[in-house]
Amino acid sequence: MKEFEENIEQRCPRLGGRVSFRYCKTMGDDHSVCWKIFDCWWERFDVVNYLKNNLPKEKYDMLADSKPKPKVMTLVELAEKAKKRVL
Amino acid sequence: MEVRKVFLSEDEIPRQWYNILADIKLNPPLGPDGNPVGPDDLAPVFPMNLIEQEVSPERWIDIPGEVLNVLNIWRPSPLVRALALEKYLETPARIYFKNEGVSPPGSHKPNTAVPQAYYNKIFGIEKMTTETGAGQWGSALSFACSQFGVECKVYMVRVSFDQKPYRKSMIETWGGECIASPSTETNAGRNALEKDPDTPGSLGIAISEAIEAAVTDESGKTRYSLGSVLNHVMLHQTIIGLEAKKQLEKIGEYPDVVIACAGGGSNFAGIAFPFVYDKINGKEIDIYPYEPAACPTMTKAPFVYDHGDTAKYTPLLPMHSLGHAFVPPPIHAGGLRYHGMSPTVSQLVNEGIIEARAATQLDAYKAGVVFAKTEGFISAPETNHALAGVVEEAIKAKEEAKEKVILFNWSGHGLIDLGAYDKYFAGELYNFVLSDDEIEASEKVFENFPKPQQIKSR
Repeated sequence: MKEFEENIEQRCPRLGGRVSFRYCKTMGDDHSVCWKIFDCWWERFDVVNYLKNNLPKEKYDMLADSKPKPKVMTLVELAEKAKKRVL
Repeated sequence: MEVRKVFLSEDEIPRQWYNILADIKLNPPLGPDGNPVGPDDLAPVFPMNLIEQEVSPERWIDIPGEVLNVLNIWRPSPLVRALALEKYLETPARIYFKNEGVSPPGSHKPNTAVPQAYYNKIFGIEKMTTETGAGQWGSALSFACSQFGVECKVYMVRVSFDQKPYRKSMIETWGGECIASPSTETNAGRNALEKDPDTPGSLGIAISEAIEAAVTDESGKTRYSLGSVLNHVMLHQTIIGLEAKKQLEKIGEYPDVVIACAGGGSNFAGIAFPFVYDKINGKEIDIYPYEPAACPTMTKAPFVYDHGDTAKYTPLLPMHSLGHAFVPPPIHAGGLRYHGMSPTVSQLVNEGIIEARAATQLDAYKAGVVFAKTEGFISAPETNHALAGVVEEAIKAKEEAKEKVILFNWSGHGLIDLGAYDKYFAGELYNFVLSDDEIEASEKVFENFPKPQQIKSR
């Protein structure tokens, strides 16, 4: 399975370059699964079942039910977060 | 010899941008508390003179002489009659395109990078930061900053930094600093590296680094820059369409159809908004933003409040969208992969002033290859979607035996993205079109979003 994750690649819509499936599994927020993973990979293989079978149920449910966060992370918020980080 | 190119002299360059906010009504962007975002909220991120443009109701905004002096490096861009393409398609249509690939970075993006660098400069800003994925925007901003003596720092996602050395070379040649993200220069970067020293990075981290570098500079002389979606970006791009109007007027032509690809909307807005102004004032003209068939953000999706970017960092904006959680299938057109459109473009679609259309990626590349073999230029992958629309309209004109005038925006060359062509020639690209059921499912993310009022501008 690891070999599969490392070898299967496609162009990332956000980066404009090729990334492995493994990248998408780990480079979302806080090193979680990228919330775009279903949309990017569904035509290549059954990514839904794959993740259902390989993620803890709680994580899969969060991913599948990827509604927006209640509080929007706006540019303004991001600026505020940045200021707090350096205090 | 047939005349192929129409030029404007440098003193014929438009002296004002067209601000479409004067002619349409928009729902205001909402902050996380549901209240409209005000100029002061954005002040730590952008200089106030650009924020004023972002919300300005003035129809015409003067282009500063200092900006024109830089734009004159490549502007006015040529208006080209695509005679060979017409002949190939055996169409009675007369096809014209604005060649925006003649700019130093090779795309339309410096049309806004240059004024952004200028306004930052005169506001007293000494350094600009941004993030870049593929490197197109980063290279445009670096070029612009070099013209005004502003420092430029581009946080490029590590994996792209390693994959696309030529974009980094361009950024550095213009004097910008291109740094792999995560870096050790920001807390956001250090935090990421602490968790995983070998991380390939992500766009989310790069944006966090760029904004952190801007807002935590105690001197107050650093700001962040964005190259799409926002109103002031659309404004700056309108010089494309304003030039085109003058050039067509010189040869006694006026378009029946205007076409551009539409990702975040800026190159579409650039050529189309001046003609939208005419349409609002009674001209009969069809205006088509083309997007990938796999990502029908405007063609089928609901009009709702959504984030302007996939990372959800921007305010809630009223737009056609499949939701921030929706990402189109792997279409090799990086610049088109916005899940949401510029609010102004969305509003025009919503009001029926323009009609969004979609092209499959195979049709787009097929058109791009035909264009390269006839007109000679190799298009950027996203530009190929506009070309697919042009071919469609030209064939329609042939079938209807109509002498239409088609104008489109050739937004940039693809000389640094030839890998995508390799995939096309190798048969590794596929068409994917969303079914209605899939779209219905994707709309569920909006269940708890506020719904914008369906306002009409007139």
